[in-house]
Amino acid sequence: MTDDTQALAQGLSHRDPDLLDHLIELYQHRLYRYLLFLTGNPALAEDLFQETWIRVLERGHQYNAKSKFESWLFAIARNLVIDVSRRKKMPSLEDLGDQDSNQPYDPPDEHSVSALQLLVARENQQAVQLSLLKIPAYYREVLLLRFHEEMGLEEIAAMMSTPVSTVKSRLYRGLAALKSALPEGAV
Amino acid sequence: MTDNLHIRAQKFFAQSLVEGLTQADQSWLDQHLRECADCARETASTHELLHALRNVPVFLPRDLAARTQLRVRLRAQETAQTSPGNFLLWVITGFSWFVGVLSAPLVWRGFAWVGSYLHVPKLAVEMGFVLWWAVPALFAVAAVLHQKGLNIGTSRGRN
Repeated sequence: MTDDTQALAQGLSHRDPDLLDHLIELYQHRLYRYLLFLTGNPALAEDLFQETWIRVLERGHQYNAKSKFESWLFAIARNLVIDVSRRKKMPSLEDLGDQDSNQPYDPPDEHSVSALQLLVARENQQAVQLSLLKIPAYYREVLLLRFHEEMGLEEIAAMMSTPVSTVKSRLYRGLAALKSALPEGAV
Repeated sequence: MTDNLHIRAQKFFAQSLVEGLTQADQSWLDQHLRECADCARETASTHELLHALRNVPVFLPRDLAARTQLRVRLRAQETAQTSPGNFLLWVITGFSWFVGVLSAPLVWRGFAWVGSYLHVPKLAVEMGFVLWWAVPALFAVAAVLHQKGLNIGTSRGRN
């Protein structure tokens, strides 16, 4: 356990408001993206985002600093998604990339590529985005955690309370599903 | 080159992405990809796919962090305000149980004496004793539920 995580655990158990403000700021993109990938619904992802931080406030004393904070945070978010999906049918990823929102996240570096490359990249992203709509949420989740969050297999397994073998098999199947869901010629 | 080699290469490639390869397997794969244009194209396409996956645009709602920070602070204040009340409620409940248990034999004798003096049926005396035990507990539960209801109502109102 490092001093940082110990300090984090202590701050969480004392419900330090400044620490929570900092964490919300720090993890906003990653947590929102995770929730959006899982639910496919921006409004629901936003609600769950706020609810996740309320849980962090209320259950901060349960964070023991043995795991990474983000794994604990994502596990809380995941449980909330499961709770909601039990209550109502989950929507698909149809609203991903909502055009009404105006704060783009993680845009491609427009200065480093030509206009044509940018156009192709955008088309590829759109194709991937559309393909994501077609694959089940449990594949989307592991693909995001592994290839976007770059989490280790054990870390993902611990977060999801699933055996590592299940995570591996979902990754293999998820990759295959994503590839086969892509339209011909894309990527 | 046999089909088995291509299948093996694809399997190794997927494995390298998901769980990593041993040095020997990685060398074999690298060698195969240098020699086989089809497999090299396939792996390049998967790399591009993953790159595109990493760059799928996600639009963060306006002021999401600020709104969440405000909500979390309000909840923290709310909890801080209700905590002393809850603690007091627990103390009172614990004390009443302690006194209740200690005085139970005495009260039972009192009920029995009153029952025999007034010629009240035994069943009524027993029910009276049970009520003496249950009514304060029911009041306590009602108080806790009322408090919880107020908290939920307040937090929903603020949402």
